[in-house]
Amino acid sequence: MHSTLVRTQNVFGFFTTVAFVVAALIAASDIVASRTPKASVVVKDVSVVMGRANYYAKKKEEFANIRFSMSADLSSLFTWNTKQVFVYVSASWPNSTSSEPSNEAVIWDTIITNPSADHLQNIGPAAMKKLKRSAKGKPIDPSRGKIELKNQKPKYQVSVPSGKIAHTNDVVLEVHYNVQPWVGVLTWTPQIEFLGWKKMKGGVSKVFSLPAVKVKKDSTKKN
Amino acid sequence: MLSALGNPRQAAAQILNFGLILSTAFMMWKGLSVIADSPSPIVVVLSGSMEPAFQRGDLLFLWNRNFFEETKVGEIVVYNVKGKDIPIVHRLVRKFGLGPKAKLLTKGDNNPTDDTELYARGQDFIEREDIIGSVVAYIPFVGYVTILLSEHPWLKTVMLGIMGLVVVLQRE
Repeated sequence: MHSTLVRTQNVFGFFTTVAFVVAALIAASDIVASRTPKASVVVKDVSVVMGRANYYAKKKEEFANIRFSMSADLSSLFTWNTKQVFVYVSASWPNSTSSEPSNEAVIWDTIITNPSADHLQNIGPAAMKKLKRSAKGKPIDPSRGKIELKNQKPKYQVSVPSGKIAHTNDVVLEVHYNVQPWVGVLTWTPQIEFLGWKKMKGGVSKVFSLPAVKVKKDSTKKN
Repeated sequence: MLSALGNPRQAAAQILNFGLILSTAFMMWKGLSVIADSPSPIVVVLSGSMEPAFQRGDLLFLWNRNFFEETKVGEIVVYNVKGKDIPIVHRLVRKFGLGPKAKLLTKGDNNPTDDTELYARGQDFIEREDIIGSVVAYIPFVGYVTILLSEHPWLKTVMLGIMGLVVVLQRE
């Protein structure tokens, strides 16, 4: 009845129960913190160039290079249960056959860690030191949710399976986010409002078109 | 302590009990699998390619149904490459077209380039059917024990031995 084995089992069982209950409470507490993100994104310079997807690629294809400016305030997403916020800007456009956007490609993204998760970032020692110093003594730093980008170069140049992307019409840029919790449910930019979780205010650019291929001799670089 | 071995009736009951525990676990797993429509509704992260979001050993819950909308860009999906049986957890970064034949491209947050290199020869994109689920919930670290077990196979034997011994030896 009261052997060492039974006692160990009881202690371990109690430990797991408590751990899971606490984790569940933390996960559920997400809903208490309201989320009121807002963003604005403006297309700056758009060009289409010929290039190869990589060094070994046999055929050349068209790559769209979309520069943009963005101003975002995602500070309300940073709470006690936020591990990181993944922010991404995507370009989307419809097919020639349908009117709803059926193509989407990420052109820029960034990972913003909450200070409690800084040590997990995959960056060099100097950048890590700077990052840690930027939020010294603060386990939560909502100010990191404020992003200002001026005439930002895209991280990813867009190409399509057909290889032809010039003259694409009705393209829009949109700002999205994905909140990664320490424990619990992952959340994305909501499509419906739910209690204190509001939709993204703004965050969609004006509709634009991609121009013709830029004629230039030296245009083989990509990333 | 070894008296249970002397009593065949009790020994049989305890073996049955052990079987019951195993089959309950199996039923819960398969039940979850049916609800989420995924062959593997819970996966353990095996690589660091999604850091800092997911570390090795973290537990992910998957959902593989499209009730309201299609699987879209930005979602973190688990997919199998054709011809390889290793599930990969990465984020969708491109989608061309709609429906089950849409061309999807993935990339790990921690990787500098997209997954074209990881795909099978001649495969430039994955399709919806290659995906076994989208990540919806997360528990850190709990799955690390499975990584230990697969990296040190002798631990499996030891653990099974201990479990069997405990069941046989405990009274009640």
